[in-house]
Amino acid sequence: MQILVIAEQEEGAIRPGSRSALSFAHSVAREAKGQVELLLIGHELEEAADDAARYAPVLIAQSPDLVNPVADRYAAVIAQTVVQRNVDLLVAASTTYAKDIVGRAAGLLGGAMASDVIGHQWTDGQLIMQRPMYAGAVIASVRLTQQPAIITIRPSAYEAAEPTETSHPCEALPIDDLTLPDHIQYEQIEAKTNHRPDVTEARVVVSGGRGIKNSDDYEKLIGGLADVLAGATGSSRVLVDAGITPNELQVGQTGKIVAPELYIAVGISGAVQHLAGMKNSRIIVAINQDPDAPIFDVADFGLVGDAYEVVPQLIEKLSLEGSES
Amino acid sequence: MKILVSTKRVPDTDQRIRVLEDGQGIETGNLPFIINPFDAIAVEEAIRIRESQDDEVEVIAVGIGSDDYEEQLRTALAMGADRAILVETGSHVDSWNAACILAAVVKSQQPDLVLMGKQAVDDDANQAGQFLAAQLDWPQATFASQLELKETGLRVHRETDHGIEVIQVRLPAIVTTDLRLNEPRYASLPGILKARKKEIDRLTLADLGIEISPRIEVLNMQSSSTNRQCLQVQNADELIDKLRNDAEVL
Amino acid sequence: MVNTNTADVIIIGGGVAGLSTAMQLAERGSRVIVIERERLANGSTGRAAGLLGQLRGTEAHTRLLMDGVKIVQELEQRADVEIFVQTGSLRVASTTDRAQEIKDLVAMGKSIDFAIDHIDRDEVAAKLPYMKTDDLIDACYCPTDGHLQPAELASAYLKIGKRAGVEYLQNCPVEKILIDHGRAQGVETAAGTFHAPAIVNAAGPWSYLVAELAETVLPTAAIGHYYLTTRPDEQNPVDRLSPAIRDRHQRIYSRPESGGLIVGLYGEEAIQYDMEQLPVDFDMSSLKARQDDIHVAMLIHATQQRFPWINERTPMTITAGIMTFTPDGKPFCGKMPSVEGLFHCSGFSGHGIVQSPAIGVIMADLILNGQTDYDIEAIEADRYHDVAGFQDRNDITAKCYQMQSDYYGRVEGGSTQ
Repeated sequence: MQILVIAEQEEGAIRPGSRSALSFAHSVAREAKGQVELLLIGHELEEAADDAARYAPVLIAQSPDLVNPVADRYAAVIAQTVVQRNVDLLVAASTTYAKDIVGRAAGLLGGAMASDVIGHQWTDGQLIMQRPMYAGAVIASVRLTQQPAIITIRPSAYEAAEPTETSHPCEALPIDDLTLPDHIQYEQIEAKTNHRPDVTEARVVVSGGRGIKNSDDYEKLIGGLADVLAGATGSSRVLVDAGITPNELQVGQTGKIVAPELYIAVGISGAVQHLAGMKNSRIIVAINQDPDAPIFDVADFGLVGDAYEVVPQLIEKLSLEGSES
Repeated sequence: MKILVSTKRVPDTDQRIRVLEDGQGIETGNLPFIINPFDAIAVEEAIRIRESQDDEVEVIAVGIGSDDYEEQLRTALAMGADRAILVETGSHVDSWNAACILAAVVKSQQPDLVLMGKQAVDDDANQAGQFLAAQLDWPQATFASQLELKETGLRVHRETDHGIEVIQVRLPAIVTTDLRLNEPRYASLPGILKARKKEIDRLTLADLGIEISPRIEVLNMQSSSTNRQCLQVQNADELIDKLRNDAEVL
Repeated sequence: MVNTNTADVIIIGGGVAGLSTAMQLAERGSRVIVIERERLANGSTGRAAGLLGQLRGTEAHTRLLMDGVKIVQELEQRADVEIFVQTGSLRVASTTDRAQEIKDLVAMGKSIDFAIDHIDRDEVAAKLPYMKTDDLIDACYCPTDGHLQPAELASAYLKIGKRAGVEYLQNCPVEKILIDHGRAQGVETAAGTFHAPAIVNAAGPWSYLVAELAETVLPTAAIGHYYLTTRPDEQNPVDRLSPAIRDRHQRIYSRPESGGLIVGLYGEEAIQYDMEQLPVDFDMSSLKARQDDIHVAMLIHATQQRFPWINERTPMTITAGIMTFTPDGKPFCGKMPSVEGLFHCSGFSGHGIVQSPAIGVIMADLILNGQTDYDIEAIEADRYHDVAGFQDRNDITAKCYQMQSDYYGRVEGGSTQ
């Protein structure tokens, strides 16, 4: 079985999400007796290629016309590579890059795609995968009916692969610029400085309540913790009423309904009005000084303590570890 | 200008979703069904484009499914879509087949723009729009959070993990909508009453001249557990440890 | 966790009615268990807007509400939470019959020394720059009105109740009411059997079903209700202390909320709910309106007549809930003649939040002393007991739906809403 893993790169290094995709690929390769290669697409990829070669053999598709990740070009390159190298399984981390680009590539390759996979088994020569459905309420076991199979995995479900002892070969793929499609014109990217994900879509939401005294503290504590977890910030109605947070951050009955992987409620009592907005979160953490706060009734993990002490500690420890998905 | 909006009928995922005992699906008995929220955003955007243009813009809502689907197509009509098309299929279609069907509808309707939700909240696949663009060899602009119609085509702001990316595409194009694109309107009383009277065009797969076969098969479903038992931790270290190693969420 | 299975009082239903009653009883030394079908305060209570208009059709009713404010103020101290937001309330009239309603209301209020007076159009416009006022013929202002914040009120009942020893069971529907020789004995639930000589039916929209468990008829019906909450709008800022409004001609009420405006409609047509059709663990907070819901369209249309800047495109959330109506719009509070020890406490017809503080006191009085100093003739639980036309479910629902329709629809003569 020939397995190709899309390697996203940033500043000369392979993104951890792609290393998680690689772990998935290795696992399948072990069971199905397959070979795994990484595919790097872009421009001026020498540094990234060196990094990628620490993990697996690398195919490099390089061209000035590929400097920006436009879906039509990248998908064409991927599809071409899959066909030319008889790839049976195409794997990527389910990032927006992959959803956009690998989705289109899958469309060029017959559409046998399973996205956001969180688990898998190799059973009777078949790959069975688990993926969430119905906004995470259901876990479905699925199989794809034909090849090539295109799979995106949820990075937090697979540990990022570690470099191997020896380095691996790199191969440059010929790119015929003239055959690259030209449907999309890339203008710019407004990089994320203070751009947090939407609270209704973020994987992690950190929410503040009555325990937060003012906007500066909110930014420092709630914003700080959200940023170190690459998450969104939310708020209970109390802070909105007090003018400490804007209305659009309100989670609850008259605000937003959220269902992230991780919801951290800081200084929130857990009135039913707020619960209505976040009760479907997969994991709920409550940090509150009041041991009787109703939020503890719906939390998976509770910490009775002062947010002003606990949250800075969390931020510090998580920053040191440089955790990200 | 002609805009096609693809809509899906989905269960309201804010409700309790229960898996059938045999794991072969979900209980739908008391479950309300709605128009996929991302598709409602697409309908809204199409109507806004129409309202912003002096030239005539026709908005056509398309649904793929059984008679039940009429309800959601009427919602789109009530919001302001001009026409609706229902492609009748008995069973559930996966992303690939939805794209095949939409491609056939596109070929017959010849729209300038196809707007659809980036994903449907039942399968959360986020694939159909991209498949459609690939099949038609049209430009795609996914996860749109802002859309500007220009002389030369569309200028689109896209929500990505790294920030807002801006691209330009010529028409015809496929655009998939992200949450921050707009807030869908509620239907007005006249809109609702007018929608009740509109005809919904019905097509079969035979009419479109296509056959479909699934690319993904759901073998089994299980409920994500929701019974929470609160575990008290003593300090930040312990919390991080539990989240990382027990809950595997960090 | 409940460690024995006997109590002095079992309360079925953990909304404001049940929680208030539980708190009052426990503070007087009773052992109380509240058994809630789903989650405390997540039924009608969790969806309510909490508008407090103290001046009612009768002095008795007005007193009940005014006392409620005093009770709430005490709760605020004890639970350290803000519940009552005293914005004052305005009633507006754009037609002559509604103007007459206002005249009668002002006269009535003054006769019992309630703070109310006519207010001219300019003053109204000054208080509410975001409201259309050019069509107003008359208006009156009650400075002591406002709203009770439902979540905060419920949490105060809960906090103080807990301190006084109330035990609460959630996710625990009552399956059977045990009666022996015409006396209440207890209830059976999936979590076990609980015994008590007094049982209170505070089950809100489900209360008629709970009554059926005791083989009695309770003339309540479940009726849906929607209100919208706008997001803060720069062109139309809403001050947190802007007065609440009632426009009976348009059938709407309104109050400030989180920088925006809540507007609710008591429509002509009742939104009917058959509680038996809903799943046992029905979560009312998941109730939602579709984009093309006709009741939402009617709500927005009525809203626009008074607040022209609000239309279908205005960023807003729609809150959907279920109210418990009765044929005369008054609750059922007190004993049932057919079963000794069974008490009803439901049917608040959209005014549960604001009546709950005093109702808790009344229920505790009735349960512990068999009588109360409050004038409760209008809200007696048995007033339709064995009365023809109020026994059959179809008759009952028809009357309750009519009541809902008349709520703002009917022009009150001499007595008011």
